[in-house]
Amino acid sequence: MLAFFLMLHVLRGAHGAGAPLAPCPPPCQCQESGMLLLVECAECGLSSVPDSLSPFTSYLDLSMNNISEIQPEAFQNLPFLSELRLSGNLLKHIPGPVFRGLYNLKVLMLENNQIQQLPSEAPWDLPNLLSLRLDANLITEVPAQAFSGLRSLRHLWLDDNALTEIPVAALNSLVSLQAMTLALNRITHIPDYTFHNLSNLVVLHLHNNMIKTLGQNCFEGLHSLETLELNYNELQEFPVAIRTLTKLQELGFHNNNIKAIPEKAFLGNPLLQTINFYENPIHSVGRSAFQFLPKLHTLSLNGAMEIQEFPDLKGTTSLEILTLTRAGLTVLPQNLLEKVTHCTTLPSFGHVVQQSVRTLPCLDAHLSHPVFPCRDLSWNGIEAIHADAFTSLQSLVKLDLTENHLKVLPLEGLFGLTHLKLRGNVALSSLFRVEDFPQMRVVEMPYAYQCCVYGACSAHRPAAQWNMEQTSEEDELHKKAAALLPVHTYSYDSDVEEFQMELDESKLQTSVQCTPLPGPFKPCEDMF
Amino acid sequence: HTPGMSTGCQSGCLTCSDYNGCLSCKPKFFIFLERNGMKQTGVCLTSCPSGYYGTRSPERNDCTKCRPECDSCFTGNFCTRCRAGFYLHQGKCLQSCPEGRAPNDAQRECVPECP
Repeated sequence: MLAFFLMLHVLRGAHGAGAPLAPCPPPCQCQESGMLLLVECAECGLSSVPDSLSPFTSYLDLSMNNISEIQPEAFQNLPFLSELRLSGNLLKHIPGPVFRGLYNLKVLMLENNQIQQLPSEAPWDLPNLLSLRLDANLITEVPAQAFSGLRSLRHLWLDDNALTEIPVAALNSLVSLQAMTLALNRITHIPDYTFHNLSNLVVLHLHNNMIKTLGQNCFEGLHSLETLELNYNELQEFPVAIRTLTKLQELGFHNNNIKAIPEKAFLGNPLLQTINFYENPIHSVGRSAFQFLPKLHTLSLNGAMEIQEFPDLKGTTSLEILTLTRAGLTVLPQNLLEKVTHCTTLPSFGHVVQQSVRTLPCLDAHLSHPVFPCRDLSWNGIEAIHADAFTSLQSLVKLDLTENHLKVLPLEGLFGLTHLKLRGNVALSSLFRVEDFPQMRVVEMPYAYQCCVYGACSAHRPAAQWNMEQTSEEDELHKKAAALLPVHTYSYDSDVEEFQMELDESKLQTSVQCTPLPGPFKPCEDMF
Repeated sequence: HTPGMSTGCQSGCLTCSDYNGCLSCKPKFFIFLERNGMKQTGVCLTSCPSGYYGTRSPERNDCTKCRPECDSCFTGNFCTRCRAGFYLHQGKCLQSCPEGRAPNDAQRECVPECP
């Protein structure tokens, strides 16, 4: 670092302290940053790297131009260059000498080009490079020596290329690597000891490949790995090779073709917090598969159609989200909730076979855990709920019993509900009172007349006006929402949703939003 | 042709409209919603802006916010540069460094302690 500043002072002195740092090459825009220069030439229609770049350039953005080739001496005189952006050009190949002398380069962005191969005879010599982006190119293979000059590299993007195998030899040079993505390639197999030199790797993404098989020792050497993503591949077997990943916290292999999860499947991964392997045709799960995972808070097994028995969760004590939708469970263990004491979302059993889940057991007192705010029991076949089912759950605020077969809803313990869904319980025809749910804000009833207690038709307005005013209020709400989410219906922004909820909630502060709204026949009056 | 469609889309855009900017991007580009007060405008980028990380998938490429303490990140759980007052260590932005490492304010990193 000291040498860097010494050189800067010497050069600056020779250049004349007050003098401008060299003219800004048109049509770029330049900005001084202390003694250095930031040069912005993005989207300028350039077909080559501008000449006469100032030697004090530390940041150079040439992205989104039409550069198909880089002259060998283009970056010769840029000793202070720290970030170089060449993304979104037409580059097919970048010979090693092009980057000679860039000893302070830390970030090199080459994504969205047409690079097919990396240099092998004279590889890039960038000893201080930390981040290299090569994603969204056409790379089919990486020569063994390609990365030999990148000993400090920490972050490597090779996703969205055409690799058919993992460049094992090339990766051996990257002893400082901490995060790598090889996603969206055509890799079919991971051999043993592929990553044995990458002891600092923390994140490894391999999703959206065609991986069918894994060597039993393919993850050997990944002593620091915390996140492993194998989603959207063609794995036939459970990846037993994960047993060596003692630091693993996040594991995903959803959307594969795995049929069984063996006993003690995660014995070697005591720090696991999240396991996602939904959308696998799992038909057998070892009883001890999910034991002794004290940090596990999310376990989603959706789509495991053939799981018959509820997994044994001994020693797995922090589960917050357990989703088992579309499983084949026919029996729920009596001490179900003992197993999932911190569950904020009780298992949502979705399409569990209807005749099995008829009754909801009485829930024990110790489950009145504060972190028990919401429960989703929708789409089951629950016909009856034990009178004391909710008595110990004073903190319950949201309850979704949509599409069940209830005739009666026990009110004990539901005093604090703010959201209640009962739609689809066709036999539940009784009227509720406002006092039953003093905190209620949003409720879905099986029938419109059940909304009358919430003053849904108290103003006795003529039906036409009722509907008009009602719809204009709803339009008003939608207009506001539309202004926020004008067209990007498919895109999602959590801030906007929060704003949307505040919008709804501020509107609801005074009234309870009860649906379905009574219609033109004003059943409330006709009923009494 | 979507009503209100602009003929001149920004580079990287596949479809766009005058009011909302890019609605969809060309392959390999990331769609990002730039916020301007209450208004959001779609832009298509080769990489997500600072403070966001990109996730590629066969159908779409999205930008997602990094953790608040990160200036830039590789994924939601792995930072590559920290905000002032935090120090980077193996992808985490910490307020104090683990044993054997010292905070370096210029690089905002935990660096090996001088022997």
